Amino acid sequence: MAGSNIRRHKPATTNRISAYLLHHLQSLVFSLGKIYQAPATTIMTVAVIGITLSLPGGFYLFLKNIDAMSGDFRSSSQIGLYLDLDVSEKRARAVEKDIGSMAQVESTRFISRDMSLEEFRQNSGFGKSIDTLSSNPLPHTIIVEPVAADTFEIRNLVNKLQAMPEIEIAKLDTEWLERLYTIIEIARRSVTIITILFACAVLLIIGNTIRLDIQNRYQEIIVTKLIGATDAFIRRPFLYGGVWYGLLGGIFSWLIVEIGYLAISGPLERLNLLYQSEMTLITFSFHDFIILITSSTLLGLAGSWIAVARHLNQIEPS
Amino acid sequence: MIEFHNVTKRYEGGYEALTNVSLKLADGEMAFITGHSGAGKSTLLKIIALIEKPTRGQALLNRINLNTVAKQRIPYIRRNIGIIFQDHQLLFDRPVFDNVALPLQIQGYRPQEVAKRTRAALDKVGLRHKEKSMPITLSGGEQQRVGIARAVVHKPMLLLADEPTGNLDPVLSREIMQIFVDFNQVGVTVLVASHDLGLIGELDKPRLTLNRGQLILNDLAEDEQEHGNGW
Repeated sequence: MAGSNIRRHKPATTNRISAYLLHHLQSLVFSLGKIYQAPATTIMTVAVIGITLSLPGGFYLFLKNIDAMSGDFRSSSQIGLYLDLDVSEKRARAVEKDIGSMAQVESTRFISRDMSLEEFRQNSGFGKSIDTLSSNPLPHTIIVEPVAADTFEIRNLVNKLQAMPEIEIAKLDTEWLERLYTIIEIARRSVTIITILFACAVLLIIGNTIRLDIQNRYQEIIVTKLIGATDAFIRRPFLYGGVWYGLLGGIFSWLIVEIGYLAISGPLERLNLLYQSEMTLITFSFHDFIILITSSTLLGLAGSWIAVARHLNQIEPS
Repeated sequence: MIEFHNVTKRYEGGYEALTNVSLKLADGEMAFITGHSGAGKSTLLKIIALIEKPTRGQALLNRINLNTVAKQRIPYIRRNIGIIFQDHQLLFDRPVFDNVALPLQIQGYRPQEVAKRTRAALDKVGLRHKEKSMPITLSGGEQQRVGIARAVVHKPMLLLADEPTGNLDPVLSREIMQIFVDFNQVGVTVLVASHDLGLIGELDKPRLTLNRGQLILNDLAEDEQEHGNGW
């Protein structure tokens, strides 16, 4: 056989498998060593990746908080009951009492016509024009807090209240909530777009770093090719280099978001207090952290793969 | 080991580096390639090392056709060749030991085996005590010997050397050549390109002389005639 003699130095197969794993480990450590040896380049690359990823990361966290907050609002939907103008205050208070005794109603609050007008005069800025009116145009109002959080049950209650003769309009105050959800949906899609764009940016950053790395080690690649290294062998340290960049960049972006979060958490909590909300701020969960790190690492691998596929094959000894 | 049948190499742009070169180098033989710079010495070695392919003619290494060998097989074929460069091509970012161990790591030897063989190769070139040194701290002769240790550490069947003594003084050059002769004596086929005619003259080895790409002197062919075609 022509080739039989030429392979006589091949080590035994079992050894080759462990040696293969060993080289993976060596490449992993070697590429980490390379990163350690060039701290300035590494820090810059990792910082760029970290900052880039921190933007979608931060937006994601923001969305997550808004989402939780709106959930809070959802459970506190109120029903506004506007009574007929000719219903007397006495009769209105009796209606309030009736409604308050319903099983589906948690609590009620009565706002008389006069109170409404006074409030309107103070808050609307139309005080003077209101004085010119001959009669009070505002009805008695009952604010109903339902027991149920379920939208369907609340709608049932609204219909029941609407059917009462004294009630002109029963209004479930959810329109603004629906608007909010629409805005959140727009924000969610924007975050998706931003994430895709920034992931592409990270891919390019890592690809470019690895490309420079390949150029810097041009001589080494030539030499190793000449002493019989396969393409896979040469590729490996570069791929692991990309993995390290991605991993470190991911951790850095997490740090940036956490620090940014700490910075705004003070005023946010004060705001919370002002709204008398029980809400606590949400930060990255362990699950989020793992997803962030995994995707940045995979981006690193993909970026270096692109660079390696494009540039390594072009390097041949001559 | 090596067979060339009317090998012509023409580079892009029309420059013809080798013209109709035919030669045979048997297993275990040692020969010198001589000639002026630009005579085609490096091109001939590059064809054997699978860096260049012949434009015409056929080149065989251990009966493997080098014209048609698949790209994926090239690394495995190169593992049977030790190449020594004029500028030794050491990697300056790592110590001597790691430089010499590289071919073994590429071939997947176990670490204990790597260490053993690397030290043995360094021993052979007299640099065992320098294994932890960085190549930059070594003299030109020592660097060249590290290059040789790296070329022989995996016990190749064939050693190719391109002007291995090009940058060295006569005493060091003689030492280096003696190392090649020693390897040849233990059965390694050796092909050395050199224009150091004085030094080559001291060693009783066949010569191949190239002039403008043509083989004008072939001691190996004469051998063949004398010995009645020994192959």
